[in-house]
Amino acid sequence: MGRASDSDSDNMDSGESITKVSVWDLPDVPQGKLLSHLELKRTRVFCASLAPTNTENVNYSGAYASMGVDNSVRFEQFRNNFKVEIMRLEEDELEFDMIGIDPSLANAFRRILIAELPTMAIEKVLIANNTSIIQDEVLAHRLGLIPIKVDPRLFEYMSENDVPNEKNTIVFKLHARCKKGSERLRVLSNELKWLPNGSELILATESPASHSSTKPKTYTSFSSSQDTLPEFSNNPIAPKDADIIIAKLGPGQEIELEAHAVKGIGKTHAKWSPVATAWYRMLPEVVLLRDIEDDEAETLAKKCPVKVFDIEDIGKGKKRATVARPRACTLCRECIREEGWDKNVAVRRVNDHFIFTIESTGALPPEVLFTEAVKILEEKCERVITELS
Amino acid sequence: MSDETDSLSRGIDKQYLASPIKNPVDKYQLIPEFLKVRGLVKQHLDSFNYFVKTEINKIVRANNEIRSTRDPSIYLRYRDVRIGEPSMIYDGVTEKLSPQKCRLSSLTYAAPIYVTVDYTSTMRGKKQESTEKDVVIGRMPIMLRSCSCVLYGKDEEQLAKLGECPLDPGGYFVVNGTEKAMGMESDQEVVQMLGRDPRFSALLLPSIEECANLKVYTQHQALEFLESDKMLNVFSYFSGPVEKGARALSILRDILLANVPVHQHNFRKKCIYVAVMMRRMMEAILNKDTMDDKDYVGNKRLELSGQILSLLFEDLFKTMNAESKREFDASPSARYILYCIKKYNRITSELGRTLSTGNWDVKRFGMHKKGVTDVVARLSYIGTLGNMTKIKPQFEKSRKVSGPRALQPSQFGMLCPCDTPEGEACGLVKNLALMTHVTTDEDERPIISLCYYLGVEDLELLSAEELHVPSSYLIVLNGLMLGKHKSLQRFANAMRKLRRAGKIGEFVSIFVNKKQRCVYIASDGGRVCRPLVIADKGVSRIKELHMKELRDGVCDFNSFLKDGLIEYLDVNEENSLIALYEKEATPETTHIEIEPFTILGVCASLIPYPHHNQSPRNTYQCAMGSGQNATVAVMSYSGYDIEDAIVMNKSSLDRGFGRCIVMKKYTAICQKYDSCTSDRIIKPQRQGYEADRMQILDDDEIAAPGEIIRRHDIYINKESPIVTRWIPGTSPTVLPDTAYKPSRQTYQGTEGELAVVDRVALHSDENNNLSIKFMIRDTRRPEIGDKFSSRHGQKGVCGTIVQ
Amino acid sequence: MEHGSFEDQSKATFSLTDEDHTLANALRFSLNQDPRVTFCGYSIPHPSDARVNIRVQTTGDPAREVLNDSCQDLMLICENVRDTFNKATSKFKTEKGLSSMDIKN
Repeated sequence: MGRASDSDSDNMDSGESITKVSVWDLPDVPQGKLLSHLELKRTRVFCASLAPTNTENVNYSGAYASMGVDNSVRFEQFRNNFKVEIMRLEEDELEFDMIGIDPSLANAFRRILIAELPTMAIEKVLIANNTSIIQDEVLAHRLGLIPIKVDPRLFEYMSENDVPNEKNTIVFKLHARCKKGSERLRVLSNELKWLPNGSELILATESPASHSSTKPKTYTSFSSSQDTLPEFSNNPIAPKDADIIIAKLGPGQEIELEAHAVKGIGKTHAKWSPVATAWYRMLPEVVLLRDIEDDEAETLAKKCPVKVFDIEDIGKGKKRATVARPRACTLCRECIREEGWDKNVAVRRVNDHFIFTIESTGALPPEVLFTEAVKILEEKCERVITELS
Repeated sequence: MSDETDSLSRGIDKQYLASPIKNPVDKYQLIPEFLKVRGLVKQHLDSFNYFVKTEINKIVRANNEIRSTRDPSIYLRYRDVRIGEPSMIYDGVTEKLSPQKCRLSSLTYAAPIYVTVDYTSTMRGKKQESTEKDVVIGRMPIMLRSCSCVLYGKDEEQLAKLGECPLDPGGYFVVNGTEKAMGMESDQEVVQMLGRDPRFSALLLPSIEECANLKVYTQHQALEFLESDKMLNVFSYFSGPVEKGARALSILRDILLANVPVHQHNFRKKCIYVAVMMRRMMEAILNKDTMDDKDYVGNKRLELSGQILSLLFEDLFKTMNAESKREFDASPSARYILYCIKKYNRITSELGRTLSTGNWDVKRFGMHKKGVTDVVARLSYIGTLGNMTKIKPQFEKSRKVSGPRALQPSQFGMLCPCDTPEGEACGLVKNLALMTHVTTDEDERPIISLCYYLGVEDLELLSAEELHVPSSYLIVLNGLMLGKHKSLQRFANAMRKLRRAGKIGEFVSIFVNKKQRCVYIASDGGRVCRPLVIADKGVSRIKELHMKELRDGVCDFNSFLKDGLIEYLDVNEENSLIALYEKEATPETTHIEIEPFTILGVCASLIPYPHHNQSPRNTYQCAMGSGQNATVAVMSYSGYDIEDAIVMNKSSLDRGFGRCIVMKKYTAICQKYDSCTSDRIIKPQRQGYEADRMQILDDDEIAAPGEIIRRHDIYINKESPIVTRWIPGTSPTVLPDTAYKPSRQTYQGTEGELAVVDRVALHSDENNNLSIKFMIRDTRRPEIGDKFSSRHGQKGVCGTIVQ
Repeated sequence: MEHGSFEDQSKATFSLTDEDHTLANALRFSLNQDPRVTFCGYSIPHPSDARVNIRVQTTGDPAREVLNDSCQDLMLICENVRDTFNKATSKFKTEKGLSSMDIKN
């Protein structure tokens, strides 16, 4: 700023004489800082009446070099600016603000949450008997989509040649029968019973009478019971929700099956996604460009379907519109739809302020999911580093 | 309002209840009520029911006697024809049939046709009349849900017990296990060509001159001339005693304009008819405007399954009688003839053959039609319904004419303006609109007597000059001139009043043609008509109180008809003034539409906001039977969305979007051979190199339901004897294993598909062979290349599936 | 995985398998923040292949080193995000009287 004032006095001195002055040396050009309109462009998305404008991000470190502004982000700078504010934290849902971060990172976290965080889900269903009207494949598909409340970090992935064992497989049993002459029966997810000792079904290749002394081979080979693990001893593994309808049975129909859950990620199949959804939106910013008073204020307040605006009394029977709840704004642009109103109200989004929401399916609490997602991004970087060296 | 109604509606806002409905939404309720009463395939059911109840009786009554030519006192006479319950005779035992059983066991869902026969029997040289009841002359394929079907009047639970879907509309046949629907055929017949002027004589002059040149002056000379070789050589098959002029006379009586009856050689009616026709023809020559439009829907008749079957049955029945008569002439024993009739099975086989091949032949008239039946399309429920309302033209599709293909204004409300295929059959194949009804024949006699009662002067009593007096109007019933009436409007109004009161059939149409000075009354079958709300001086007869009663379930659509609030109008009578909405009605308005969207057919009415679409989009949509509904977000993915390709989201597919199950049927027959040997099914190998391919076989040697079947898996382990011909001198013995060669059947599905044996059904086919049917189910998830569409004719293939 | 020339190490394309926009876009951001980078960008040649190409051009330093540094930067950022997030959650929980709930990470 010091230089700016210098040139200011220079200009005054030269008076009427014609001297060439660079535009950057003009008095109202701030040095080392972006011009206000450029700064606005850098940090906001404008929601004009026709379409959102200025949606692109300026990433390149040298984007404003000609103005003497360094656009690169030093880590120190990031650390000082980055903020997280928790808005809501429930059993399965988390809403928090992430401020001072680039969309590419916010999006990376979102993508990882949806597609790359592991959970346990039913992958293999061994149907012993199914006389219900629901087909085996459809039943198996439905079972697969049931969220299971178990920490996937306690298990290993099962690769193609692996034998199902206590470290990579959870076995459930379901046996439901509707008695003849009784009412139609609903089979709910709470009827899935955990078998900590693994499968009870004997392998088809096993001849029943051959080894009467030794235990016959089953579809899993558990070396120890899962309920001996401290994590599960008082906390049996079960579906997250007890009231998911799996099938409906008519009188005389029966379902008997065994379901094997394994570890996987949402990329392979959506059933392994630990979140129902994970999404973010940029913080809306509603600015009144001039004072909106009296009748105009009333109209403006009425225009907004989500009641962003309030009306305050400014004395002498005068009223003025205020922006009371900008977070509620859905950017529907109802307030600037009418001709000329875009001169009164500006609707924008803050570029680096994300309202992040995570809805967990129940395997892990949402706040754990987020830290896990960040860890996975770190692992990815690490992988690139090892590959580079 | 009368005092009576006043006292009834105490405590209710009378003014509101009596006010005409302003809001068109109110009447909407009538449509579900209409469909509840009628269903969407009622036209087929009505037609078949009419055939089974009425038409078949008429046919049998018209040809009820076979009398021996040698001894005219010996005869055989049919009485009381009726259709029994669907059943089949299996090893001499009558077994009742259900449609589902027929589908599974490849049987024809048919019922015996019973007649009571009176015949002369000779007992100890004495002739006496005997009666035999319930003689089966053949088996009639039964339309599902018709009055002869076991499903008739059954509720949901009973239907479920019979293995039937409660939503299935019926209206089709089951022939050899396949579902065959008969289409509707549009028949072109211009019934009305009836008119005079001094200019006519100029046109007639050449004909009269020719007569003079040929020296034909008297009636006798004319008949002789007609019988001369150059005129009559075609009809030389007439036999019997030849009297001069008799042959020509009989042709004039029976063949020329056969619709006009001749009583005791009274040709007057026929003469007048010919005269009127000639007038109309000449008028058409002089003035092209008076020509009838052959594409006008009012001039068309639809032929439904009942009519097609009745013509065929009549032909077969007559053929049977003719053959019986020949036998009768050879051996005059009525009992033997009865035996012949019982043994006769051409009626059964021909009816079955016609339905299964779709080739319809009536040899006596040299009539031949192809494709009268279709396999019922079961791709989607809507597709099935759409298929049942299809109307096919009778003539060739290859004709390169635009007239019949163009949308006719008279189609409004009767035929769907959207639903027609693209390509060669465009505009020729049509579909019925939602509320269209196709009439069945109705007895003319009460209408005729009613007309005379209402002051119609019989033609017989009128002089030729009176025929064309401008102050009177010609009354024509089904193309038959009844007579003249002085006051046109009074007569028409009286007839309509009688119709609304239910004194004559609700589908009788009374059409006043002022230009031709005619009143056309139609009660024949095959006309299309639709219900409309009657309006008095532009005020709808349906008031809010009626709609309330309807909503409360006090009354239904039929009671609206009975109360004279609604009536059916056919295309001709539709020339009255019809308002689309109450608010548009003027004092001249006679009718008000029930709902504007009922101009559409089954498929088109499922398009949301069709009036916002480009017209061909609706047509394209009608060609596609839609399935699962979805909410979509639209985005571009350059390169993978070119040419209407769509991009899908993998997670949605993971969660079950667009999954479908494809069922395929495989049949295996355990054939019996001449050599008293038969195929045999043997136990699967549990060890050895083929054990792997046989692992889905159960211990009963047949693939078990629920097993996953892969390509090259054996689903039945069958063996056939090597020698199947019967060698004389050998006795049926148990063959050694070496005399068999394997004839197992393997599954030839595509690799990587997850197919499962869904059901296995065992039954014996018509040759008493064991037939095993496998239903193989294959669950598919959407993949690249699968076709998807919106409900607006916007179809595209899946271009890529995005993570 | 690196495609470039031996003469000029300042330009190279890195082909990462089993990665997609998740990492590539974050890396591009990180690379762009580095003043040594003159150009960087990424592309997925075909959506059916699990592969992403990252192009890096620098003012002179070897592209490989710059990419390596960017990965390190990204990891630092991630670590910081996690720390901040955990602090925020524990603060929120204590404020809400839910401090008994244990957060594992």
